[in-house]
Amino acid sequence: MTYVKNRLRRTMMFVPGNNPAMIKDCGIYGADSIMLDLEDSVSLTEKDAARMLVYEAIKTVDFGGSEIVVRVNGQDTPFYDEDVKAMVKAGVDVIRLPKTESAAMIQKLVKDIEHWEDEFGIEKGTIGVMAAIESAKGVLHAPEIAESTPLMMGLAVSGEDYTADMHTHRYPDGRELEFARNMVLQAARSADVYAFDTVFSNMKDTEGFYRETNYIHELGYDGKSLVNPRQIAMVNKVFNPTKEEIENAQNVENAIREAKAKGSGVISMNGKMVDKPVVEKATRVLQTAKASNLIDEEGNYIGE
Amino acid sequence: MEIKTTGVAGTLESSDIQIMVSKGNNGIEIDLDSEVKKAYGDEIEKVITDTLTKYGLTDCKVKATDKGALDCVIKARTLAAAQRATETSEKPDLEVL
Amino acid sequence: MDKLVDLYLNNAATRQKWEAFLASLDIHNFSDRELDQINHTFGLVDEEGKLVGTGSVAGNVLKYVGVCNKGVTSGARFNKIVTALQQYIFNEKIFHSFVFTKAKYSESFQHLNFRELAKTDQAAFLESGTPDVDNYLADLPKVNDQKDLKIGAIVMNANPFTLGHRHLVELASEENDLVYVFVVKEDASLFTTDERMELVRAGLADLANVKVVSGGDYMVSKATFPAYFLKSPEDLIDVQTAIDARVFKNVIAPSLNITRRYLGKEPLSMTTHYYNVSLAHELSPDIEVITIPRKEVNGDVITATEIRQKIKAGDLAGMKELVPATTLEFIEKNLASLQARIEKGMNINGN
Repeated sequence: MTYVKNRLRRTMMFVPGNNPAMIKDCGIYGADSIMLDLEDSVSLTEKDAARMLVYEAIKTVDFGGSEIVVRVNGQDTPFYDEDVKAMVKAGVDVIRLPKTESAAMIQKLVKDIEHWEDEFGIEKGTIGVMAAIESAKGVLHAPEIAESTPLMMGLAVSGEDYTADMHTHRYPDGRELEFARNMVLQAARSADVYAFDTVFSNMKDTEGFYRETNYIHELGYDGKSLVNPRQIAMVNKVFNPTKEEIENAQNVENAIREAKAKGSGVISMNGKMVDKPVVEKATRVLQTAKASNLIDEEGNYIGE
Repeated sequence: MEIKTTGVAGTLESSDIQIMVSKGNNGIEIDLDSEVKKAYGDEIEKVITDTLTKYGLTDCKVKATDKGALDCVIKARTLAAAQRATETSEKPDLEVL
Repeated sequence: MDKLVDLYLNNAATRQKWEAFLASLDIHNFSDRELDQINHTFGLVDEEGKLVGTGSVAGNVLKYVGVCNKGVTSGARFNKIVTALQQYIFNEKIFHSFVFTKAKYSESFQHLNFRELAKTDQAAFLESGTPDVDNYLADLPKVNDQKDLKIGAIVMNANPFTLGHRHLVELASEENDLVYVFVVKEDASLFTTDERMELVRAGLADLANVKVVSGGDYMVSKATFPAYFLKSPEDLIDVQTAIDARVFKNVIAPSLNITRRYLGKEPLSMTTHYYNVSLAHELSPDIEVITIPRKEVNGDVITATEIRQKIKAGDLAGMKELVPATTLEFIEKNLASLQARIEKGMNINGN
């Protein structure tokens, strides 16, 4: 497995790192990314055992093409060093650092990863990093964190810890997260990295889940963190492009093809220049459409 | 490797295996409880024995309660239990896996 | 997904929720006797925050284990709770645990590799982990050709060891090739386990065919037997006696080839007398139960209770005829500290 900077990341499913049943099965649900957790979901007494389990799982379990992210324990814990070492050796795609509050913390993580890559003779740059933003300080430093390393995959808002730090808690309307969500997204976009929204844990409140997912999709988030595989299809549905968006993206693709055929450096469509963000958006739309089976091999729309 | 205490790792939940390693003086003695013992008992015991041997334990008693664990789980739990028993958990020996 | 949480029963609201949940599983005894021994309690809550499982640890005993299986894979919650309890005690370096439970739950525990040591219509007693009863039995002293010998056994508290105890052992020693004296392990009264063990050993050192051993965890005592799961607390003595007898009969005796058990006749305590009768009933015919009249001095039977009262009173002269020299010597040497223990509130009544 190797880290790929740009890929579809609508869903990042949390899987407790000490739960073999869930680790064994998590690859079958089609999550874009799977986050195996060594941190909060593992009790203090089981850190060593969970680390070994996740290590073995990464090396042997078929995760069905999902990207494998591991959330290691924080840099202020005695577990961090061995966590990073084991995950580098296992060949994880991305290491997620909890409670990130500065660029220096990410730079330390990258340095530690490089150290173990040297030690184990692993090619540099094959493991990406991501930062979980879980505090007021983290939110305010989001821009420097997002730009701290070329290996940065993305930023994730972690609502539970952040709201506690802000002396509040989660509310159904999400107003308490407004600033953090916008700040993190802004920082991620500006640094050209991915942005992930926090989890929504009340499985019974389907309507609330859709409301929140629609909202963060509207803001421009790339994806959402999940705790339950049932939420994957729901997120994908929200992130699905419309028929019009797909047709437009296909037109952009055609314009690119024509420009290339003509040997022209300038891509134009409907009399206007097609610049980079438009091209990138078209690529994203078509990637999503394919992943969600909205278009067939020839590009014909087969959605509902 | 010297066993200093009893070491246990793993849970009794589905797809897991609980491994308890304690002092012994008669080779690696495994007491396995598994619903699939008839079909896979030898295989499970071999994974446990191989992992312990590779880690450097030659004499110990093992109680294993299997709930349908894959080989990778058996290996990980066995090593975790062995390192707890030898009080070396702080330096995980990933080469064994 | 269900979440495992710590429950603090000293919180009134938590306690109320916990009791209501267990009551729904037909567990109703929440007496201090049961709750005081609990070290820790776990709860399992579902996604809506409802309590759907619980379990407690009291030393090396798992108690108050109960789960609601409505709408989930049967066994999943039970396994999760038992795992949590075990991880808790493993962390305390306790690797050998017991459970006393309703008979109908025995199978669930056996499914998790607990071994059933005894069972009645109402209750089951199981163990898990290491060292187990096989290890305990393997470590007991044995003699050559034990299977061909006539072997007797006596179980005693010996708190402390008296000439009454000695009299019982002497008789057994004469009538058998080998006698096991099991000293009950629980630290329930004035003399500590080690002290009681030592005094029994010293007081019987001259009898070559007597082996003094610890009863380990397998002489089920009234003091530690939980009653929380019983239909009625009044069943306690019957169930405890039956479980105790069945462990002895089915697990301990066969492995050591014990065929006889000696009891001291009980003229004073109705409870003990009743216990003796039920024990005899449970053990026979597999084990021959021999009840010996208690040794009398000046027309009174010797009891350990009396010795403890004399210790309290500092009456060393008065116990000279009642205890062997070894016990007397120990009491003389440690009189002050024994009296201090009584002073501190150690209960010296009872057996």
